[in-house]
Amino acid sequence: MGIHFREVSFHYPQNQLTFYQAIADITLQIAKQDEFICLIGRTGSGKSTLAQHMNALLLPTEGSVEIFGSLITNKRDKKINYNLLRKHVGLVFQFPEYQLFEETVEKDIMFGPLNFHVPPEQAKQIASETIKLVGLDETYLKRNPFNLSGGEKKRVSIAGILAFDPDILVLDEPTSGLDPQGKIQMMELFKAIQAKTGKSIIIITHDMDLVYEHASRVIVLHDGSLIYDESPEVLFRRGDLEQFHLQYPNTIKVLSALRDRFGLDLDIYQKNLPDALLAIKKAVAR
Amino acid sequence: MSHIDIRDMSFTYTGKRMILKDINLQIEQGEWVAILGHNGSGKSTLAKTLVGLLEPAQGTVAIAGTIITPETTPAIRKQIGIVFQNPDNQFVGVTVRDDIAFGMENLCVSREEMLERIAFFAKKVGMEKYLDKEPASLSGGQKQRVAIAGILAMQTGIMIFDEATSMLDPYAREDLMKYIRQLHQEGLTIIMITHEIEEALLADRLVIMKEGKIFADGRKEELLKQPEVFAQSALVMPLALQMAMQLDDEATFGEVKAFLWESTFAK
Repeated sequence: MGIHFREVSFHYPQNQLTFYQAIADITLQIAKQDEFICLIGRTGSGKSTLAQHMNALLLPTEGSVEIFGSLITNKRDKKINYNLLRKHVGLVFQFPEYQLFEETVEKDIMFGPLNFHVPPEQAKQIASETIKLVGLDETYLKRNPFNLSGGEKKRVSIAGILAFDPDILVLDEPTSGLDPQGKIQMMELFKAIQAKTGKSIIIITHDMDLVYEHASRVIVLHDGSLIYDESPEVLFRRGDLEQFHLQYPNTIKVLSALRDRFGLDLDIYQKNLPDALLAIKKAVAR
Repeated sequence: MSHIDIRDMSFTYTGKRMILKDINLQIEQGEWVAILGHNGSGKSTLAKTLVGLLEPAQGTVAIAGTIITPETTPAIRKQIGIVFQNPDNQFVGVTVRDDIAFGMENLCVSREEMLERIAFFAKKVGMEKYLDKEPASLSGGQKQRVAIAGILAMQTGIMIFDEATSMLDPYAREDLMKYIRQLHQEGLTIIMITHEIEEALLADRLVIMKEGKIFADGRKEELLKQPEVFAQSALVMPLALQMAMQLDDEATFGEVKAFLWESTFAK
């Protein structure tokens, strides 16, 4: 078992008298291998809070999270090596500025490996390999991360996590701020990592096209509660997503508009452009 | 006199590699322009030169007839507001209320007026219930809405949104777009920097950047007829138009294609 949430709630303290409940009574399991999960929900629904429980950056107010055999509760346990949990579950933040802090990109990427006792020379080697994986060349290694564009910072922050090779990857909006081709490349990279290593990957996103095309499982949060946990095929056939401030993938939106306008017998549940074109051609021929 | 007038402008951080090259761009009062381009194409750098955060190496940027220099920058900032991608870069206050007030304090808005505007713009972005909360306790999207309220409250004549919606969920994004449309109707000049073609479609004019230069500039209806412009600048056309272009048999798909074009521009 990779990660097991049991009835987890988390409260952010407001002041001495009140608190704000970010997630409530969450129970779910994530396998170590072969899961491609998208975690979705409107802003403020608790997605990032949930993700930060996956490597014990936040401790649950109630309930427990089991991470690779370590039971995490609201009390810090001296027997648990919290640092080691982060080797199991690597978390990339939504805003790259939260995890970039060194004066060069190279030092930033080397930080994780060094922290997990990889020798410096090898860490350096890892940095020059991972920078290429995320679509940047080696000249970036000597640059200051704070002078990079938003999309470049994002890539460096992802490289920093890939560098220490965690067992599970949790990525909070890894494609926001990337241009269309950058998004495609990044998703291809995650797919390739999974194909090669079988690592489970969890992605927080608002991009329903990405969810529909790539996820094998979708977890939906609304006001801090888990409301759906199912395949994207099942999820996007539901008629009630808008009440949770969720949208449908673009293919479904465009195809359903066509179906309604021309009264076509059209299968609107297509994941990509070639399939959508085939479906249109079939429907028009009928 | 154009509202924004950029002439022969180049920019470099290091003195060697030019990030912006020979930019010439005139934007009239009340225009709504989307600036598109791949990561690293120079869009955000261009936006920073418009508010005097970066100084051109060559050429000039003028706002309402005044060339931006270190001396004129304070006055220019009263006419032009910019909302960035990451709201954390623009938070200063202890509470959401303080934060919305910050920009107005620099403009010497009276206290009464300030309180009125805070209430109005907090409601506008749907954050009126959060005025006493600490910005740090908000989600990314909520922070962005607070940052936007703070800039809107300064009531500048030009608003720049630098990938300001990339951290918002689709509904929050739609809400913001509705509001930008209203600002546009009120006569503001709007510049929207984005990767999202769906978002750019709301603008009237598209400026496409590539490798530090302006690669294409025109009405959206004209540019969208040229798929090669999008392909060459690493951008993606709206899905409905990609469908329309690939359904090439006019006799069979004529009506379907016409509908796909119409629905793309109907937003």
